[in-house]
Amino acid sequence: MAATVIGPGITIEGEVSSDDEVIVGGTLRGKLESEGAVTVEGDAVVEADIAAQSVAIGGHVTGNVTANDRVDLLSGGRLVGDVKAARLTIADGAVFKGNVDMEV
Amino acid sequence: MAKGSTEATVLGRGLRVRGRVRGEGDLRVEAQVEGDVTVSGALELGEGAEVRGAVAAETVTVSGALRGDVEVRGEVVVTATGSLRGDVEAASLVLEEGGQFHGRVSADFELPDALA
Repeated sequence: MAATVIGPGITIEGEVSSDDEVIVGGTLRGKLESEGAVTVEGDAVVEADIAAQSVAIGGHVTGNVTANDRVDLLSGGRLVGDVKAARLTIADGAVFKGNVDMEV
Repeated sequence: MAKGSTEATVLGRGLRVRGRVRGEGDLRVEAQVEGDVTVSGALELGEGAEVRGAVAAETVTVSGALRGDVEVRGEVVVTATGSLRGDVEAASLVLEEGGQFHGRVSADFELPDALA
């Protein structure tokens, strides 16, 4: 089980940082930093810059996404913002608007 | 991808929040939170939790450290490991042995006839 689960119905406005995995199923506005994986679930709304080890997006994200390892934009996911990561996947059915920097 | 939409909200150890947390349902906090926390259900501050800010919920259980005012409709429980510094507005307050509390209490309760 993940260390932190921000469930549906919960809204956080502000800066969130974690040493561990974070799963967002609710709403987050501000800034999100994690030394672990960040998962944005299907119904989640994130209006924040995200910096993490890896980021999986199945919900709506508005903000820049930076990952040390990888970013996965899942089917049904929607990202408006720039991505900086060594590896990126964009699934069929995902929506993405922004620039990509794969740090080559 | 794991479907966690039915999972309750946990702000886990190692998490720091600077800002406001609010919403429907229950919330368990083991993290450091600087800001107000408002939920409609039960709020549980676990051992190791540090919250600085006003707290509002249906019920509140404090096993960590809370510095801020508490407003609940139900019961506030400060457990043996808990510490609460702030004013409490609640239907009832339980302070377990070992628990620390500094603040004012405004609770609605009926005095026994001898004291009324």
